[in-house]
Amino acid sequence: MTLVAGLRAASYGIPFQPVGGVFGSDLAQINDWKTVADPYTGKEVYVIPAIRPDVAVIHVNEVDELGNARVYGTPFWDHPVTRAAKRVLITAERLVPTDVLRLQPELTLVPAFMVEAVAIAPNGAWPGSMHPLYEIDYLAVERYMRDEPSGLEAHLEVAPEASLVSA
Amino acid sequence: MSPFSYIVINLARQIRPHEITFSGVNSTLPMLACLLAKRAYDFHFTYINVAGGVEPQPRKIPHSSSDPAIVAGSAAIFANEDFYDLCARGGMDLAYLGCAQIDAEGRTNVSAIGSWHEPKVRLPGGGGAAVMLPTAKRIVTWRTEHSPRTLVDKLDFVTAAGNLAALITPIAVFQRRNGRLALESWHPQSSLEEVVKRTGFKFDANGAGPTQEASSRERDALRELDPAFAFENEAAIKAA
Repeated sequence: MTLVAGLRAASYGIPFQPVGGVFGSDLAQINDWKTVADPYTGKEVYVIPAIRPDVAVIHVNEVDELGNARVYGTPFWDHPVTRAAKRVLITAERLVPTDVLRLQPELTLVPAFMVEAVAIAPNGAWPGSMHPLYEIDYLAVERYMRDEPSGLEAHLEVAPEASLVSA
Repeated sequence: MSPFSYIVINLARQIRPHEITFSGVNSTLPMLACLLAKRAYDFHFTYINVAGGVEPQPRKIPHSSSDPAIVAGSAAIFANEDFYDLCARGGMDLAYLGCAQIDAEGRTNVSAIGSWHEPKVRLPGGGGAAVMLPTAKRIVTWRTEHSPRTLVDKLDFVTAAGNLAALITPIAVFQRRNGRLALESWHPQSSLEEVVKRTGFKFDANGAGPTQEASSRERDALRELDPAFAFENEAAIKAA
């Protein structure tokens, strides 16, 4: 949540963001977070400095050729991350005509003017899930997590995005 | 009650009528507890989860508590920003948050074992705990290992401090009273002596006794959620 506070500060264009809680946590000292007095009540509140990522990369369900990106299901952190970053790159399950997006513009999470580049990568979230198209591939996640030198190579051999590159 | 069912059922028993209750990432036991409470108890409460689900009706229970499958059947999505903000503004009644170490005051460590700068084990981090522990009305945690290295006199690092209300282990249920964890009950096959021996901090055991056995509805609900013991076998929780 402190991370989100930093991202929010960046998206709001302000230097820091007040955040609830944190008192009593050693994280404040490790990260050198400061408190300020609420100018209205005098009550101390932690403030998290802005975090402005250079690039945000998110994987979405559908994108048009202009870069309008549509997400089905839970958006997780897609909204704050794309607003905080300097540049936004989109990978998508499939390309759709802009007219399809015009039918339900509220499903478009990132408008094209914010997007720098788009790549179409079917099954690109594998071995993670992509609602509602496919679920988590737990066996692949377990294989990937094995601490073996060949693990990454074995993963890349079957990863959908890797086959796109070599094709 | 097996160690696994003891934890799940006692996590479920922490839920009170009409509460807004939350389960997060890497929280299979609280996810099962919330789903169990929906089946075993007659009162209403609202179950929201880290995958964005609100009152989900999942056809199958996912392996991971952050799998989008745990959103199925929801009539609304309440995603990450929403549930954290709800908590920060005081609207979260009960959230389940994990810990690696916990001390007598109910402070938690999910950051590092050893020194933070040169840790023996680097842990995954709080995932919002530093904000949620002080702002949720009640936080309940659990440990699958009950030992002096998990229930400690002194934390290696304080990730979060605040409104911790209860701790569930395979052999005991603690409730926080006057700022300190106090023993509420022990597993009927355990004993006060065993809990004392395996706890790294001193605690009040006034009024404590054996934990109430599982009701038939609690047992049936857990069987329905884990018919083939897949969750129970994977959790592999030992009582001893």
